[in-house]
Amino acid sequence: MSARDVRGPGAPWPEGFRLVGKAQRKIDGLSKAIGAALYTDDLVLANMLHAKILRSPHAHAKIRAIDTRAAQALPGVHAVITGECMPVKYGVIPWTPDENALALDKVRFIGDEVAAVAAVDEDTANAALKLIRVDYEPLRAFLDPEEALRTPEPQIHEQTPEQKLKEHKGNVSKHVRLEFGDVDAALAGADVVVADDYEFHGTTHTPIEPHCALAQFAPDGVLTVWSSTQITHYVQKALAQVLELPEARVRVIQPCLGGAFGGKSDPFALEFVVAKLAMLTGRPVKCLWTREEVFYAHRGRHPMKLAYRTGARRDGKLTAVDAKILIDGGSYSSFGLVTTYYSGQLLTGPYHFPAYRFDSTRVFTNKPPCGPKRGHGSVQPRFAFEVQLDQLAEKLALDPLELRRINFQGENVKTVNGQRVTSNGFLQCLDEVERASQWKARRGKLPRGRGLGVAGSMYITGTNYPVYPNPMPQAGVQLKLDRSGLVTVFTGGNDIGQGSNSIARTIVAEELGLDPADVRVVAADTDLCPVDLGAYSSRVTFMVGNALIDACRKLRVQLVAALAEHWEVDEARIGLGNGRAFERGAARTLTMREAFQLTEARFDTLGATGAYNTPKLGGDYRGGTIGASPAYSFTAHVVEVEVDEETGRITVANCWIAHDCGRALNPMLVAGQMEGSAYMGLAEALMEDHKVNRFGLHAGPSLLDYRIPTAVDTPELHALIVESLDPEGPYGAKEAGEGPLHPSIPAISNAVFDALGIRLRALPFTPAKVLRALREQATAGRGGSSVRPARVASEAEPSC
Amino acid sequence: MRVLSLHVNGDRVELAAPDHWTLLEVLRYRLGLTGSKQGCDKGDCGACTVLVEGQPVLGCLTLAASCGEKPITTIEGLMPAHLAAGGTGPDPVQAAFDRCGALQCGFCQPGMILSARALLNRNAQPTRPEIRAALSGNLCRCTGYTQIVQAIELAIAESLGVEPCAPAWAPGTNPWKLAAPAEPGA
Amino acid sequence: MLRLPQFELAQPRTLDEACALLVEHGEEAQLVAGGTDLVPNMKHELFTPKVVISLAKVAELRGVRQEADGALVLGALTTLEALAQDERVRARAPALAQAAGLVAGPQLRRMGTLGGNVMLDTRCQWYNQTYFWRQALGFCLKKDGSACHVVAGGAKCVAAASNDTAPALLSLDAELVFHGPAGARRIAIDALYSADGIYNKTVRGEILVEVRVPATPAGHRGAYGKLRERGSIDFPLLGIAARLDLSADGTVASAALCAVALQARPLRLKKAAEVLLGTRPGTADFEAALQEAGALAQKQCHPLDNIPGDADYRREMVPVYVRRTLLAAAEGSGPVHHV
Repeated sequence: MSARDVRGPGAPWPEGFRLVGKAQRKIDGLSKAIGAALYTDDLVLANMLHAKILRSPHAHAKIRAIDTRAAQALPGVHAVITGECMPVKYGVIPWTPDENALALDKVRFIGDEVAAVAAVDEDTANAALKLIRVDYEPLRAFLDPEEALRTPEPQIHEQTPEQKLKEHKGNVSKHVRLEFGDVDAALAGADVVVADDYEFHGTTHTPIEPHCALAQFAPDGVLTVWSSTQITHYVQKALAQVLELPEARVRVIQPCLGGAFGGKSDPFALEFVVAKLAMLTGRPVKCLWTREEVFYAHRGRHPMKLAYRTGARRDGKLTAVDAKILIDGGSYSSFGLVTTYYSGQLLTGPYHFPAYRFDSTRVFTNKPPCGPKRGHGSVQPRFAFEVQLDQLAEKLALDPLELRRINFQGENVKTVNGQRVTSNGFLQCLDEVERASQWKARRGKLPRGRGLGVAGSMYITGTNYPVYPNPMPQAGVQLKLDRSGLVTVFTGGNDIGQGSNSIARTIVAEELGLDPADVRVVAADTDLCPVDLGAYSSRVTFMVGNALIDACRKLRVQLVAALAEHWEVDEARIGLGNGRAFERGAARTLTMREAFQLTEARFDTLGATGAYNTPKLGGDYRGGTIGASPAYSFTAHVVEVEVDEETGRITVANCWIAHDCGRALNPMLVAGQMEGSAYMGLAEALMEDHKVNRFGLHAGPSLLDYRIPTAVDTPELHALIVESLDPEGPYGAKEAGEGPLHPSIPAISNAVFDALGIRLRALPFTPAKVLRALREQATAGRGGSSVRPARVASEAEPSC
Repeated sequence: MRVLSLHVNGDRVELAAPDHWTLLEVLRYRLGLTGSKQGCDKGDCGACTVLVEGQPVLGCLTLAASCGEKPITTIEGLMPAHLAAGGTGPDPVQAAFDRCGALQCGFCQPGMILSARALLNRNAQPTRPEIRAALSGNLCRCTGYTQIVQAIELAIAESLGVEPCAPAWAPGTNPWKLAAPAEPGA
Repeated sequence: MLRLPQFELAQPRTLDEACALLVEHGEEAQLVAGGTDLVPNMKHELFTPKVVISLAKVAELRGVRQEADGALVLGALTTLEALAQDERVRARAPALAQAAGLVAGPQLRRMGTLGGNVMLDTRCQWYNQTYFWRQALGFCLKKDGSACHVVAGGAKCVAAASNDTAPALLSLDAELVFHGPAGARRIAIDALYSADGIYNKTVRGEILVEVRVPATPAGHRGAYGKLRERGSIDFPLLGIAARLDLSADGTVASAALCAVALQARPLRLKKAAEVLLGTRPGTADFEAALQEAGALAQKQCHPLDNIPGDADYRREMVPVYVRRTLLAAAEGSGPVHHV
């Protein structure tokens, strides 16, 4: 596992990089552009059946009985299954297995899966669903997290009497309280304390491709599942567990994926359902969810109620941060254990503060389950904290951008909660957005109704906490060198559109001197590819990239040795590049095809594996490894808004996104991630709302009612890439796919303050809320700065 | 069930389908033209956009049996049409999307590209607001639309023989030129 | 994929054929033109007709023409995009062109027709949902159930008229030509809409053939204002059509204000429009009249929680959109839309 070695961010060969750092077309761009790329629902197997899933119309109910006889008798129906067919519980986090493929004894939200049918076509399967009779005994449903917290019974997830006796958890899913330093003393000694409450609503991923899975069970006992997942490896493990098959008999393949954003990082009912139905019927079975079903599957952004207190010295230096957070988890755990930690653990950069406490409680409610959405667990606290920083700047009469600058934590530091921060380009990020937005000339000086706001953030580049603790590598790759001159990369990494397969091509072509077209990538097929844990936590480029370099360097040694021997020169004179091997300072060259053949003749069949695992990281306390990352990315945004005071509508005119991605291996793809992240943040700030109505029903489970912005609703997004050259990233690279979402949301709130002097502390920033704040401002007297004066520490504890 | 005779990507094709099947279902599940995508079920996302008589319409709300003689172009039809007209490679809009990184997950892009193609067919030099308006029935969740707009502007600039507007991440340059594929053996 | 229920598609070529089919199948038939309203509604099992009669091939429903007196005759199959782009419509009936140009998004405007928009089903957040969703709350008054979820204990469906063209056509005093078993008849658009959200039209079993927009005078000004969340795709949260006919001296000789997306029936805001009479755009009088019109309109408009969107906010926006739309009409600009 030599990938643990630190290689440094530069090219080890004197010619420097040929491909890294330049815009490269994506490996699958053209196949997608011409409509040839195959996504899961594009796959058709002979003799295939179609599955549909029956869902609960109750938010919370016991299942007394299920009668499937009429459905089974319908011509064209081949199998009907219920929870009893797959009683093993699972959960993506092995410590919280609280899900069943189909509900076993009770349902916990409207949309919970109850039964499934395989039939000759979708119409027949739908008709069969209507014939299934379920006898429910409704239970009290909890839609409000505070009510669920107050009310221990009925439990949404019932503990056994013995468990209750030990610790009655009520409807608490997870509670984490961690304190670093003496927060109370620091707050008491602060020159100024700002305390306020914030509210983050629920939002969801909304990939344009709905979830789909297709299963085939071969007579030799091998189950193959094609699924629109971003975690092939975990799905393989979950299928084996629930279907009680050896892992070696389960093959999971991720075809081309139509977006995920964290929404496809749990094992889902449809994967188990198609597998079980394929096993029962002996025929391939496909299930494609409707858009409505995708909204029920959810696993989106957790709604949070957050109370923050921040203390500072008169000069603006932060002294302490105290957070209390209530997290609405919805009906299942999903990644909730991690979410609860992340809600506190990921706040400790890019600013230094010597004392920190967070107290986060995730509760179950009878709503679609929440999970990890882009910027998992940290987008909500980041919103609250960055608005609070702006309030602090206001109170201290400091420029908010300057306040952030003076609290910069620095490079190569340990955070208050014990995380190791190495490269840190946050100051350059601030410089970039300050320059590009003409901050100094314009902030506070634009006409009323127009304003600029700033916010910063930090995010992980993978974590050293694998979902199931184990000493094996987090990322493995295998390379096959062919006599034709082709290199095939086998990687378990999931390309979910972010371009990880394209990055793999770039790295291998760079390392082995190849034309990128001579590198092909086979990815996310558990039979063919070494394990990678999947596309989550912004880990793929960093970890798979390092594993690829590891493998390539092994092959490079062989290539260079064979070429040196062939030309009878010193190995130091051998170079590789532009599809050729060459002797430095001489005219001799060979094509890489020739070089491969020469090397194969010398060393036998050519191939190599490579791996990456994180170094030991994290604080020395329970939960100290959650949020510990080998490298952190940093972001600053400036957002320019225009607010119509009559309609309350906020229009974002510009968003400048400066992001420290370590090194941009492919700046075009980095920019795409930055723009997409910022767009998603702006969207959830201004439009999106994963609302559940008074019946516990999702208020509008469609792309008409859940409003994601169109091209005319999206502002000009300016991606400004900052490169800090991380010491451990592949060529110095860090993540770019999640960090740049965070600041969008608080930056809007802060810009609205600059525009109108009102503070928006509850999301989403609807026009109605803007008008309400303007009315309050008018009542309080125009010219006043904040609608609600910031409270001081001596006042009552924040309520949530 | 009736026999339909459709005019798809220049070919006359016959197939049997029930009356309640949409054009999208027929294209995907009867003709194997899976480039047209399904995202929302009911006309809200634009992923199923196809051109009927050159106009972008939604396959998921169009009854296949009602298409009759009208020429239908799907994403699969663009490159062959471009080649047949004497061009090389994919349609310039498709190539520009590829060169600008506009295809992240790629799922919305067949519909997006067809909307863009139809726009350029009726207006060879649209302004940026006109581009955004023409795409406003095609939801993309990956890109924030920036690289999509850049792709269309690149296609326009190249058709006019002028330099495209540089992106924020590469000021003063044309980074997409660098992205052209290397000649084999070069 | 969300599937359509099974049906037979009939594709008559003439109006008489279409009428005969309608008579033959009665309640079991649904008419479809562009399909942008009916098809999603069928996917939601709001309509499960045995026969769908497509009007797309009926030649009599096509075409836009201007009559000698300046009246516009708009075939029911005219697409919303064609309507929005038509120079005659833009010149003679700008509010209608603007409204048509703001319906839904680009593809739907190329599919959707004027006739379809006029005859659009009313909408409600408790109604425009899948069968599963509606079943989970025991259905509603408008379809399959008996309770109204908008107005507790309400006995009358308050689903909202959501067609952008309706207020524009009301403001233009349009007439509609229907063809039925008894032949053709012409009705004023005011007579079409009723206050019943279940079916907010007075005409059944007849086919809308054409929409006639009477000639507008030389001083005609019109505009449409649309409140919605996104700049595309969305139905109106509020739609306001304004008409000002200016006399030779520039004063308002006649005025109309009409609103949609409130309740089942598109509304005429008569009192609000009347205050504009005799004022001259650009003067303080006109400005004052705009304010008064806004206030009067707000008194008459009572948005409910029928369509998605904060009802209080929609009410708050009534005077704003009334003023802005009137101003746009006076200036010959518009539409009033946030993008």
